[in-house]
Amino acid sequence: MGVLSALTRGLVRGADRMAEWTSKRGPRTFYKSRGARPTGVLTSSRKFIPVQAMIPEFVVPSLEGFNLKPYVSYKTPAGTEQPMTPEMLFNEVVAPQIERDIEEGVFNEENLEKYGLEKTQEGKLFKLHPKNFAR
Amino acid sequence: MRLTTLLSMAAKAAFPHDYRYGTSRPWTIAAQRLNPPGKKRRKVFVEPIANEDWRVLRGDTNIPCKSNSNQVEILSGKDKGKQGKVAQVIRRRNWVILEGLNTHYRYIGRSGDYRGTYIASEAPLLLKDVTLIDPTDRKPTDIEWRYTEEGERVRVSVRTGRIIPKPVYQRKDGIIPQQWKDGPKDTSPEDTLQKTYTPSLKTLEEEVMEKMNIQEDRRPRKSYWY
Repeated sequence: MGVLSALTRGLVRGADRMAEWTSKRGPRTFYKSRGARPTGVLTSSRKFIPVQAMIPEFVVPSLEGFNLKPYVSYKTPAGTEQPMTPEMLFNEVVAPQIERDIEEGVFNEENLEKYGLEKTQEGKLFKLHPKNFAR
Repeated sequence: MRLTTLLSMAAKAAFPHDYRYGTSRPWTIAAQRLNPPGKKRRKVFVEPIANEDWRVLRGDTNIPCKSNSNQVEILSGKDKGKQGKVAQVIRRRNWVILEGLNTHYRYIGRSGDYRGTYIASEAPLLLKDVTLIDPTDRKPTDIEWRYTEEGERVRVSVRTGRIIPKPVYQRKDGIIPQQWKDGPKDTSPEDTLQKTYTPSLKTLEEEVMEKMNIQEDRRPRKSYWY
């Protein structure tokens, strides 16, 4: 309740100054968006041109033979798999290849890209840090 | 507000260290009336009991038809000598609320002229006023935590040496997992436990793009946020 004093019950002396200022408050002329992204361009003659690339399109593959449903049954026992950590991922994906290359004698420290390790995130579409995709 | 400060704000509800816990949960309206944010109430002294030494569990029950039922007996107070089932445990005040015992009566749901329903409401009992009961001879005993030969930590009654089993865990919403019937939107246990994950260094989005042959050569413009 913000700066109101201890023993007040309810809002006694004025409005709640800490409440969020949204488009539902204010006079009729007050306009504020609630976060929807624009799907086109507004021209100088006040005509709106929709841009197809700004409109989200869901690309869904065919769900033949896909048995997973939104909810999980209560009868399912707790799983026994450990959650995946970066160390486990490295050990399963990258380490065998590196070991194989060392045995053949081909391992090169400058050429780590062929195992999937990247020097920089520049130029990638889905950067890992700073993460630029929503999941 | 800055994006980074917004992201770092804690989402957990915090209570002051001298918050006085009552029988209502702290987020209910009744508890907010008794403990509004700025109010300091008289301090109540609670004997500190470690988590390992806590003896009584919710559901230590009284099911008369079963022979090996877990019960709890009251040692002092109005209902001294009676046995009952633990409905709720409030660790902050060392309280135990038994079903139907140590009750006082009150009216609930009054509005306008209607004086409300007259119900019996249970008062909490301190842990030291309550003991567990030996399941075989139905007498109150003192309890210790000891280890079995397998290394499992169990409650053992000091007087007879019998193990008091933990009460069967019952969900608050009354669902018994073994008797659950799957609905149309429930994934069956076999499908859920199937392991289909192959570890790879690609993100989900990159794998999907590869599978569906989507080519994307444009890159977003660089932008900065604080």
